[in-house]
Amino acid sequence: MTRSIIHLDMNAFFASVEQQANPELKGKPIAVVGASHRTVITTASYEARAFGVKTGMAIWEGKRACPELIIVKGDNKKYTHTSSRITAMLREYTPLVEVFSIDEAFLDVTHSQALYGPAETIAYQLKARIRHELGLTCSIGIAPNKLLAKLASDMKKPDGLTVIPPDRVGEILERLPVGDLCGVGKRLQKQLALYCNVHTCGELGRADEGMLTRRFGIIGKRLKEMGQGLDDSPVVPVEEEEQVKSVGHSMTLPRDVESRDDILKRLLQLSEMVGRRARRYGLAGKTLSVQVRLGDFFSNFQKQTTLSTPINLSDDIYQTAVRVFDSMGIDQPIRLLGISLSNLYEHEGQQISLFESDRKKEQLTRAMDAVNNKLGDFKVTFGSLLDEKEKGSHVISPAWKPEGIRNVGVT
Amino acid sequence: MELIREPIRVAVVFGPGRQIKPVWFEWRRRKHAIQQTTYTWTDRVGDDTRLHFSVSDGEALFELVYSTARQNWELLNLQTE
Repeated sequence: MTRSIIHLDMNAFFASVEQQANPELKGKPIAVVGASHRTVITTASYEARAFGVKTGMAIWEGKRACPELIIVKGDNKKYTHTSSRITAMLREYTPLVEVFSIDEAFLDVTHSQALYGPAETIAYQLKARIRHELGLTCSIGIAPNKLLAKLASDMKKPDGLTVIPPDRVGEILERLPVGDLCGVGKRLQKQLALYCNVHTCGELGRADEGMLTRRFGIIGKRLKEMGQGLDDSPVVPVEEEEQVKSVGHSMTLPRDVESRDDILKRLLQLSEMVGRRARRYGLAGKTLSVQVRLGDFFSNFQKQTTLSTPINLSDDIYQTAVRVFDSMGIDQPIRLLGISLSNLYEHEGQQISLFESDRKKEQLTRAMDAVNNKLGDFKVTFGSLLDEKEKGSHVISPAWKPEGIRNVGVT
Repeated sequence: MELIREPIRVAVVFGPGRQIKPVWFEWRRRKHAIQQTTYTWTDRVGDDTRLHFSVSDGEALFELVYSTARQNWELLNLQTE
């Protein structure tokens, strides 16, 4: 049976939400930025995009392109709440909803059409409801698979609805640049052109599979299929996602950090964030990994250590993280720090420590967690973090899903 | 947006379908009739679910927040138009 897949992509999502919340911003060029001092533009409104303002630009670059640009500080809770509302709406039409990111989702409506009508009807209803209930617009693509549905939604923005029927796939892909396919980035696009003389999807679909495999390895076969518009990957609802194998946090620092005191403070903050998350889900991990990116933005280092017993107390995570960090021998300014715990075990039922100092540490942690669970993260924290203006994560993780962590894989 | 974070009195209409509609609020002894609720969202701080309302009185934009745990309202942010 031919599938019917919808891809929904909210238009300039963060900017549109801010324009809806503050009608004075409607029709004006705005850019949503993060909370940090040195920050980049996370989303620009379509009015700003007309001036060339783009995601990833620094504020000064945006203002150079558009002197009238209005900078709006982002509010992630507004966006996550809105995204959850949209996801709930999508689930009224099918249980097969895959939240691809905070502003994109796939729906498999193959078996919903008997109840709700053709996919196009469902799509129009969704667009109308999102506009009526939230004042936002989206672009929708409808096609026999996820690859083509996402391609279709990209074809008309904003407020588009594009259908790629099965009998027009070849015609549509023939002259389309390979870079338009989800999964083919600029680097791969250049390599395909340089080494294989492949520029369009049509050429990619006709390319020799052996040649693609020799050049690109295991993905060669998949690339050829993509060129032909073939994709049998299912729409995976969050409950059926592959298990999460680690718990981690990272933070991009508002300025390059050099002093050891500053670095240790950040590591302590990250340790508390990772520890709280692990404890909330009843997990502990044996392998701890530290990630460091330098101020040049390109040098990225990662090192890990595996312990004899799993840990999840913030202090244990911190002490281990400091040891790992010190062993990396980094003496240059740092832009990003990250800690993650993997090799996870369920924590309930672990042995009570024989040592009083460890038992006290566990009791203190439980007390801190109880207060923070009630009043919010970092309401009770370590003394050295009290001066920190920004505690906690202010970034929406690419792995964000409406219901939080699901299916954490344990050993 | 200017951060205010002050307690306020709010008159609210609760309707069917979980509708919550602030109608006016009083801040620093001045009554503001709400002309439009432009956006609503919720967030959680600890075990407290907070309802946020972005509202306009025709002169300025206000962010009102209701704490379900403490059952009180505060004016969180203000933007003059």
